[in-house]
Amino acid sequence: MDLIIYGIVNSITLILMSIGFALAYGVSRVPNFAHGALFILAGYLTWVFRYRVDLPYWLSIILALIIVGLVGIALYQFILIRVRGMPISEIIASFGVGLAILEFLRWSGLRGTAHMLPPFISGTVRIFDVPLDYQRIIVIFGGIGILLFLWAFTTFTKTGLSLKAIAQNERAGLVLGIDADRAATVAVSLGAVFAGVAAVILLPLGNIVVEMGYEVLVFAIAVSVCGGLGSWKGAVLASFLIGFAQTITVSFVAPHYHFVMALFIIIIVLIFKPSGLFGRQKELEERV
Amino acid sequence: MSSNNIDAILEVKDLLVYYENAIAINNVSLKCPRGKVTGVFGANSAGKSTLMHTISGLILDMRIKEERRGGERITWYGDVLYNGKNITNMKPSDRAKEGLILSPERRQVFPESSTMENIKIGGYLATREEAKKTMEYVFKLFPELINLKNREAGFLSGGEQQMLAIGRALMAQPKLLLLDEPLLGLAPSIEARLAQAIKTINAETGITVVLSEQYARPVFPIIDYGYVLENGSIVLEGTSEELMDNPDVLGAYFGM
Repeated sequence: MDLIIYGIVNSITLILMSIGFALAYGVSRVPNFAHGALFILAGYLTWVFRYRVDLPYWLSIILALIIVGLVGIALYQFILIRVRGMPISEIIASFGVGLAILEFLRWSGLRGTAHMLPPFISGTVRIFDVPLDYQRIIVIFGGIGILLFLWAFTTFTKTGLSLKAIAQNERAGLVLGIDADRAATVAVSLGAVFAGVAAVILLPLGNIVVEMGYEVLVFAIAVSVCGGLGSWKGAVLASFLIGFAQTITVSFVAPHYHFVMALFIIIIVLIFKPSGLFGRQKELEERV
Repeated sequence: MSSNNIDAILEVKDLLVYYENAIAINNVSLKCPRGKVTGVFGANSAGKSTLMHTISGLILDMRIKEERRGGERITWYGDVLYNGKNITNMKPSDRAKEGLILSPERRQVFPESSTMENIKIGGYLATREEAKKTMEYVFKLFPELINLKNREAGFLSGGEQQMLAIGRALMAQPKLLLLDEPLLGLAPSIEARLAQAIKTINAETGITVVLSEQYARPVFPIIDYGYVLENGSIVLEGTSEELMDNPDVLGAYFGM
């Protein structure tokens, strides 16, 4: 039973980590390799506002999310826009920015284990006799909440629909009056905010450390590649696949294999489905 | 038709377009009268698509992409006037806001979105009321699409996709509708059906239509004025009757 419950928590953790990345790639085909850095930046900013500036916790979180969103806008408007349409350059540029952010944070004092965010509500409950703390329950609902928001946003709002349009066929979108750069800015910025939301929900479970930024990026890429780049349905499914596989590995083999497991699953999935679980763009392209 | 004092919604003046050193459009001037259907005919590589890209503004996007890649240099000279305003260097999305909407070659529907979603995306520039009204009109015009509302557009047939592409373009509230090879690759019966629909749109809504086509016969009955492009230049122009009387046109574009 605890395997199932912790498997679910672990899976939703992966969804939270990767959904911002999957969104930015899925709707605007921008591989935002600064994703992990934005995650840590949001966590660290929250910590700074909370303990250095002494703001209330909720206000610190909101301020941190706004700043991360603005960083996302700047990242697209000043850097990515210049290399748009060239995937390798986009990766190198965004990864460079991520590296700069992370190492700047390290330089400016984000070292050691002294940086922690408090859980929203402390305490534990027992579900089916498995002890589960409230923060992990918030993780579950946060993950579900983000997915619902994303679904509603891309189904009912004009902006959401325009993002989808640009992702599928940029030129057809352009001639319908959709500004591709504006759509991509929204996507990258929203992806950054999602990274921030994930950070404030997940970081109370551990320390804020720079290395986590790299880890989040690796997991985000693992999940997105495995699920089929650009499909967040695939990302969700892949999160569950990898999440449960990791939980099982941790319980029955050894905890330090959980990272290997994520990459191992990518290999297995790509052998059988080369474009990922839900990567059907290729399939459709071949129909003329 | 004396081409000097007509009310033209769109005018192309002395247009030259080069891909690197190859000339794609060679000194083309044309006028599209308001509220009418204008046809542009020509074989493959005659420059129809380049002309459509220049009018819709996509060529600006192509140029930026090529520049970033370090690919072909795209250059153009001359003017495109829309409602008397020079739009030669206006972004395609801004042209769309002015009511200049292109339905691209090979339909380019959004394959992973449903038919309904494609139509909704088309209404990006429309207000809620306009979108609602136009949606009803599109389904009245193409009742075939009603039963396919929830099907992914990538799985529609060519004819259905073309209806969807035209419907989607209508949703954007065009004043000038550009149709780039709307009948490409379709069965003759569907060709006739779509040509009729295009005429109906023009007659019922007053939207000016400019369409390009390789094979003139199916659209000939619906055009008011036509241009024939060959190797990037206009070699012939006239009303449909005038073109009909020309033996070269009959041979080349009607197979007679």
